[in-house]
Amino acid sequence: MHIPENYLSPSTCGVFGLAMIPIWAHAIKKVRATVPREKMPLLGVAAAFCFLAMMFNIPLPGGTTGHAVCGTLIAILFGPWAATIAVSIALIIQAVFFGDGGILAIGANCFNMAFVLPLVGFGIYSFIVGRTKKTLVSELAAAGVASYVAINAAALCAAIEFGVQPLLFTDAAGQALYCPYPLWISVPAMMVGHLTIFGAAEVVFTVGILAFVRKAAPSFGVETAVDKPTGAKALTPVYVLVAALVALTPLGLLAEGDAWGEWSTEDLAEMVGYTPVGLGDGWEWSSFMPDYSIGGLPDIAGYLLSAVIGVALLVIVFRLVAAAMKPSVSFD
Amino acid sequence: MSQEGQADAPRSAAQDIPSWLLEPEHYEPARDRDGFIGKSMLSITGVLASFRLDDGRANRFSPSAPAKLIVGLGIILLASLSRNYFFVLVLLAALLVRACVLPARALKRVAAVSAGAAGLTFLIMLPAVFIGQSQSALLVATKVLVSVGCALTVAQTTPYNELTAALRVFHVPNLFILTIDLALKNIVRLGDIALEVLTALRLRSVGRSRDKRSSIGGVGGVVFLKTNEAAQTTYDAMCCRGFEGDYPTPPARPWRAVDAAWFAALAAAVVLFAFLQGAVS
Repeated sequence: MHIPENYLSPSTCGVFGLAMIPIWAHAIKKVRATVPREKMPLLGVAAAFCFLAMMFNIPLPGGTTGHAVCGTLIAILFGPWAATIAVSIALIIQAVFFGDGGILAIGANCFNMAFVLPLVGFGIYSFIVGRTKKTLVSELAAAGVASYVAINAAALCAAIEFGVQPLLFTDAAGQALYCPYPLWISVPAMMVGHLTIFGAAEVVFTVGILAFVRKAAPSFGVETAVDKPTGAKALTPVYVLVAALVALTPLGLLAEGDAWGEWSTEDLAEMVGYTPVGLGDGWEWSSFMPDYSIGGLPDIAGYLLSAVIGVALLVIVFRLVAAAMKPSVSFD
Repeated sequence: MSQEGQADAPRSAAQDIPSWLLEPEHYEPARDRDGFIGKSMLSITGVLASFRLDDGRANRFSPSAPAKLIVGLGIILLASLSRNYFFVLVLLAALLVRACVLPARALKRVAAVSAGAAGLTFLIMLPAVFIGQSQSALLVATKVLVSVGCALTVAQTTPYNELTAALRVFHVPNLFILTIDLALKNIVRLGDIALEVLTALRLRSVGRSRDKRSSIGGVGGVVFLKTNEAAQTTYDAMCCRGFEGDYPTPPARPWRAVDAAWFAALAAAVVLFAFLQGAVS
């Protein structure tokens, strides 16, 4: 679902970039008010879940791949606006360091996966939880339904963004300048995967991690019950889970092929018969580990290394944010 | 003296006070330009704090100071010798994982300084990007990030006295260690004195004084005189105690069991380095 560079017109990217600015500003204000300073590093760990979930590529018959996002999971644990910030930073790190998703398209990618996804997910989750008895099973069921609907909402947004490109931007010969597939191709193509396997993957990741966290480390999250043990010891299972996910990331390499809408320019030219002008001449950022790999070395090594660097960077970023926040002491 | 006399005295004194003295005064001294004093005090306090408070509390997994020095130097050496980007990234990943568990203050400092150094390096290497050698610019910037980050991590997590003790383990000449030790101690003592003098200067001036800036020379002078005094008393104290320029033998067991794991990691890094360097050439 990561929209690559030049698949969207610069004007589309600009619109989404501008739209994200007030959203980020609001999210930062909300996070300051709702997430205590000592919980900020944990938000980094949650963002690491999201980063790792996006590295597990799942194949679909027909040659495309997809992945879970875990935005709903973070929204349930830390609140929807905290999820917006966490997923945004994970996406920015992916785009800048690993070339996954375009730099110019960061606004659009963040809109889909960091804004639509967690807000829809959290809305549905709280709607269901508010109407059922508060048990672990009902909570997990709500999380499952919410995450499934949310990832599909995000995929639909991405499909529409792809699909309007050939309708809006064509050259004199009628050839698309950017993404060549119109709405009636992009929407079904994206939704088939997300309604089936990728949606299921999102449900498995969300429910699995949520169940694990609620059982093994109940203090992980912003709403900590007073009687639950807190502190570094109580969170050890979460760190073990992150380490295990890092070690398992090479499984994401089993999926051959690219995700829908994330082909290289050459592959796309082969498929549609011409190279869209915007893609051929477009600017491209050269990240230091493009596609989570380093030339000449086994993919597994590059993938593992990317996972470690990405997770560590996320934890460091959120720890630095926590250190920069003013301590709020209540004297009441 | 009689009871009456005692009661009279204050009354007559109150009558004697001239009326101008009884009027309330609304004297508000003009705001002084003493920002430079505050700034000097802050910077001295910062230096002293970094000497006194360190994040060197050792936990179960931290190596002893000598092992930390060896591993740190080894990593910096490997990073600078490597021509393989993957190897540098492996070191970077290890450094980042270590940074994840640093105390917040140390993390802030390590991140700020090493990111600044790497950014500056990248700026200097920008011409390489324009002639199509962006890979080498990235490689050099990442190497700087790893080296500076590693050096700072070692410095931030090791108390100064442990660092000099570690130097003793490596048979560094006594004179050298003595000089470092004395310099460090004197920096703290003289910093205290400078801080006191600056505080006095700030407290004793009311209103705007034009020659305050000139008294900063006085602060320097006082600190210099105190330095002489401190050197003399240190020398006297050392003579009294029969000091001949020899430090006692190194502490019996400077190493810890966990050092073995760190040395194993360093050895693994060396093997990987040799393997990947071979892959390049």
